Amino acid sequence: MKMYWMLCALIALVMPLLAADSFERELDLSPLDGVAVQTEGRLKSFSSFAQGQMAFVSGPRKINGQTATFTYLDMLMCPDAYSDADVIFVKGTVVRAPIAQALVGADATLAARMDTFMATGLISEKLLSRPELESVVRSLQSDLLRTAKAMDAVRGARTVMSPEFLLDRLRIVPAAPSDKDQRWSSMRDVMLLAADPAAVKAAGASAQPIAGLDEARQRACAGAWKALVEGWTNGNVTEVNASLAALASELRAMNVAAYPDASRLQWESWYFANGNLASIWLVYALSVILLLLGLVYQWKSARRAGLIVFAIAFLMQSAALALRWWISSRWPNSNMFEAVTTAAWFGGCAAVILEFALRRRAAAGMFALASGFASAVALMAAHFLPVQLNAQISNMMPVLHDVWLYIHTNVIIFSYCLIFMAAVSAALYVVYRLCGGAPVFARVGGGGGLALTGETPLRGEKLGEVLDGVTMLLMKLSFVLLWTGIVMGAIWADHSWGRPWGWDPKEVFALNTFVVFAVLVHVRYRVKDKGLWTAILAVIGAAVMLFNWIVINFVITGLHSYA
Amino acid sequence: MLKFGRAIYDLLSSVRFGIVLMVLLFIYMSVGSAGIVYPVHPNIFHPDAWVHAQMRQWRGLEMTEFEWFHWWPFTTIIFLIALTLITTTIRRIPLRVVNLGVWTIHSGLIVLIVGSVIYFDTKVEGDSPVARRKIVLALEGVDGQVELLAAVGASATIGSGAGAMRVEVSQIDPAWELLSGPDAGKRAYSVNVTVTDSSRRFIRQLIANYPQYTEDIIFTDDKAQPMKRSIKATGSALVEPRLSVALEYESQRYFYERNDLAKAWALYVRAKGASTWVERPMTGVPLYNDYVGVSTDVFETPDAPPLVLDPIHVAVGAVDANDPCADVTFSVSGYLRYAQTRSRLVDGGARAAFNPSAAIEVSGAEGAHTTYRLVANDPARSSGDDGLIRIVTVESEAQFTKMQGSATLHVVIPAVGIDIVEPVRVADAQSDGPFVPLGAIDSGYGYRVLAAQDELPVGSRTASVLVVDIKTPTATIRRWVFDDTSLTRDVPADGGGHGVPIAPDPSVQMEYARGGGRAILTLAVGPAHEQLRIMTAIGDAQAKVQPVILNEAIVLPAGLSLRVTSFIANSVVESRPMIVPESQRMRDARELFAQILVNVPGGASQWMEFSPYAVDDFRFALRRHPYHPISVTLADGREMELLFSRRRLPLDTEIALEEFVLTSHAGGYTGEGGTIRDYTSLVRFRDAGGVWGEPTSVSVNSPIEHNGLSYFQAQWDPPEPPTSAQDRGSMGLNYTVLGVGNRNGVSTQLGGCIIAVMGMIYAFWVKPVLIRRRTARAKGSVNS
Repeated sequence: MKMYWMLCALIALVMPLLAADSFERELDLSPLDGVAVQTEGRLKSFSSFAQGQMAFVSGPRKINGQTATFTYLDMLMCPDAYSDADVIFVKGTVVRAPIAQALVGADATLAARMDTFMATGLISEKLLSRPELESVVRSLQSDLLRTAKAMDAVRGARTVMSPEFLLDRLRIVPAAPSDKDQRWSSMRDVMLLAADPAAVKAAGASAQPIAGLDEARQRACAGAWKALVEGWTNGNVTEVNASLAALASELRAMNVAAYPDASRLQWESWYFANGNLASIWLVYALSVILLLLGLVYQWKSARRAGLIVFAIAFLMQSAALALRWWISSRWPNSNMFEAVTTAAWFGGCAAVILEFALRRRAAAGMFALASGFASAVALMAAHFLPVQLNAQISNMMPVLHDVWLYIHTNVIIFSYCLIFMAAVSAALYVVYRLCGGAPVFARVGGGGGLALTGETPLRGEKLGEVLDGVTMLLMKLSFVLLWTGIVMGAIWADHSWGRPWGWDPKEVFALNTFVVFAVLVHVRYRVKDKGLWTAILAVIGAAVMLFNWIVINFVITGLHSYA
Repeated sequence: MLKFGRAIYDLLSSVRFGIVLMVLLFIYMSVGSAGIVYPVHPNIFHPDAWVHAQMRQWRGLEMTEFEWFHWWPFTTIIFLIALTLITTTIRRIPLRVVNLGVWTIHSGLIVLIVGSVIYFDTKVEGDSPVARRKIVLALEGVDGQVELLAAVGASATIGSGAGAMRVEVSQIDPAWELLSGPDAGKRAYSVNVTVTDSSRRFIRQLIANYPQYTEDIIFTDDKAQPMKRSIKATGSALVEPRLSVALEYESQRYFYERNDLAKAWALYVRAKGASTWVERPMTGVPLYNDYVGVSTDVFETPDAPPLVLDPIHVAVGAVDANDPCADVTFSVSGYLRYAQTRSRLVDGGARAAFNPSAAIEVSGAEGAHTTYRLVANDPARSSGDDGLIRIVTVESEAQFTKMQGSATLHVVIPAVGIDIVEPVRVADAQSDGPFVPLGAIDSGYGYRVLAAQDELPVGSRTASVLVVDIKTPTATIRRWVFDDTSLTRDVPADGGGHGVPIAPDPSVQMEYARGGGRAILTLAVGPAHEQLRIMTAIGDAQAKVQPVILNEAIVLPAGLSLRVTSFIANSVVESRPMIVPESQRMRDARELFAQILVNVPGGASQWMEFSPYAVDDFRFALRRHPYHPISVTLADGREMELLFSRRRLPLDTEIALEEFVLTSHAGGYTGEGGTIRDYTSLVRFRDAGGVWGEPTSVSVNSPIEHNGLSYFQAQWDPPEPPTSAQDRGSMGLNYTVLGVGNRNGVSTQLGGCIIAVMGMIYAFWVKPVLIRRRTARAKGSVNS
């Protein structure tokens, strides 16, 4: 009997979850892939918009494994289901710990839940509203240096998950052709057209159609929305699917000229649904493994396979970059995600050209190896650090609307990737020396001309010469590009901020990276063990470059804080 | 001597020495820019064991980035690098075709260094705020004009006695659409000023560049149309034609040096009543750390680290022949980087005036509590929560009895037959608390009080208002219920309809009548100075009076309790700066919250708050740019005014702002930064003949150059909702801030960089080809 009751309790617990899961599974949300939403001056696909909004709530975490589109609508139509669900992401243990401590102190039964909170950072709106947390929250909000930013994000999450906000932000009704601001309207502005006029009046509201748009279509939209809400709250899949399709079609028909191309919206949805294609890092990683096998064991077939996989990965990354370019209508280099991934792509371009030009030389495969490693690291960062490298497409700050953005930034990030690639071959040289390799180096002249003109195999001293030669070739390219990029940045700064050089931390550490390479060039003339010193300084140069890109960007504020 | 000279020559032409210099340069730049990290705990693997510090900001250094990179160690390194480059190149690198690359690189770097010396040694940079318009007042029969900035809240009085007129800027619309006339459809900068004299109050609307459209709007007793255009009401566009109010350019003649480039503190001085400031540079006043001589000079925060007593001594003497007190040298003995002036109430003793103050703690049923610190004689601090709680003094029992008279609410709901007059009731002192039911419990109607305000100025008269949420069976309505029903309006609570009040829903009619002056919770002090009584109307029709004993809880209805935790009968206000803990400082505040302690010879020391710009008067202070002049009396009795600000340099010509344009992405500006596409200032320069030139646009990435100075778009005036009860908010776009600077030597710097690039290309890719060809030729000749 006891078992029977336990079973009943279990079924009672699991059934709603299963039901919800089955509801989501049976829904056809694909019509929304063709629906545009106006947000922060851009027209986005519904799914990329929903993903951006849900990221404000749950950060990098997924809620119950649901798609962002489903969660957005579910949170809007069934808000009660989320009030005590752990969906709000709190960043950093320094913020989580006092919250957990205060809640457990007030209610010991929350201990297990707080353990999960400490691990995942997810907490519910209901728990955050408990009076025991008032003073803790106040104190965390007042610490502007350490915790206020995270608490602002929590406050933002609570705002975003409110149905009023979600409905207000659902600006999916196209602007009237006569609207010179091209301001789209929220569903809230038209949904009452389908309501009972007496009820609308009794509620003190008004239901006026938007001027300049076809009233019949507005009423049809409002009707579809009403059916959607009713179907969703009743769990009626058929009604939801039908109303979504009707809504998508009516919205587009309302102002076809203002509506973005359907294929663009669908590709955008696909791009974001597939994690911005950052998973390509796996293909790059495979190419790196094969190329390393080819290098270490001199397996020609492994090297050849590695080059083929690298080429595939590069083509995939090029396609991803082109897709993002098309979706955003601008070259992708204006935020950290774009700078990192585009830099890696530039490295890939350099590798492809060098591999082709030097295909019969001993260094064949080395550039693909270095570039493959750089791209794998860059795309892994994009994949695993979605909060830091926010992939959302947004409008550029006014200062970035300049031709120098495309000249200066691309030259600089190209040089950064070459620096990283040089560090890869330099690190391999250090490993070679640690494994007992002879202290050989590529003779001065054209980036290790001697090593590059030699033929395979690369065993013995030849390997050291090739590695050093590749480092020098990449270093020289990056040296000139970095200097040119810094100068171009100064020209841009001169006409944008009124001074070519302001000793801003980002400027200083770009110059510092250059100084390290200037030291390298001169040290190479003076020391006996040229290869080792070159390798060590190339790695140090890359470390300074990474410090500039990571620490200066995220920790030390400056004029370049948007980059 | 010759040997020593030879050794120096060898050293300067050594590549090793060059490498050492480059390493030193790297270290110096890293420390100056990123700072240093050092352990403060033996367990260096613990993250908290490491501390980051900006060395250049330490006491004793106090350097900005610009100053750090102009300090003698840096200039020495650069000088030695230049010397080493020259000597090594000449001595060690033969001038041959193969070495042209290195020669070119080194020559380029020398040119760059020369250009940088010119650039940094002559660099001036700052910012210049330019307001859109000023208002010029003239009154027939009154000599002279009065000027004030076109900024909401700015006010001035012209004339004196019974004929005086007070003019206050009440509203500015930066893009007002002209609705009639030949210019209909165009948008222009519109300023509304409220004019008040002894008997009248009216609004005058001014439109920039359209003086012909200036007109007055008068207040009427017509409830349907409380305001009317004067032309329609009286047949004349102007109510008071003797008063001239005109919009003119508010030209700017200075730019203020940037403190974060190099410290540029200045003390401005003028005789009391004078209009213009005279600048005194302050050299030696720090920037990053606090310097206090005596701990009682400031309020310390409980959790802050102990205050280091380390006064400064900076003499601030006159440098200008026009200085009004050239014989007086002020001194600065204290500096605070980030402080806010705080006032505390202290017991003034028997000699002080009767001014009761109390800390009142109101607790809810769930343990949440709020503390109110109220002062009876300070109108701004005598009530809290929008008038729901108040402290008052009573001089007699009769007055106290009268005060107990309740405010009433007349409610008519025809649908359910409710027509009642009852005292205003509050079920809970929380704005989201329960509703007080109206009529029968199940009527579905109720209300809750959000705020109460008596004697609110409305048009030419005053009115009392009760802000309530009304619950009906189908909706919740937010309503401002006035004692004059013609003013009563409904406000969409959710912000819909742009928050514009609309006519009240006739299904629920309400009228408010103010009571004897008590609030929902009133702490009455008197007639005896220590006699405290609380009057409450929560959940009760009649005021309930209870005596108050300090620190003893008083149980109130609806699960509330109240406790007076402190009380001072003769309180006086003591003001001092409070150092804001580092963790609570805004990172981009720069010097906005800095203060100095200035000592007046023969007078008292006084803390001065920083003012970003030395404008002539409060009437010209820009929104978000505080203005804090102080008055001091010199030993000989002369009265002076002082202002703590930045040094300023004259612009070569006056500049005026014609228009500020905010360009947005599709959908318009929504308040989100991402919707802004560009900021554009349309400015005019005044030529030597005093004529304004044609408008020129300055926008982001598109500066202009005028007489050797470059002008850049730096800051703007964004729209802002009201920040306090007294503030009316702003629609923004009233001023621009332009970056101003010179660019001497930039071309030389650029030339050096380009030469160096050419050298690199030659050295890295041309030289090896030359060597390879030469080697091949040599091999060929050997083989042949």
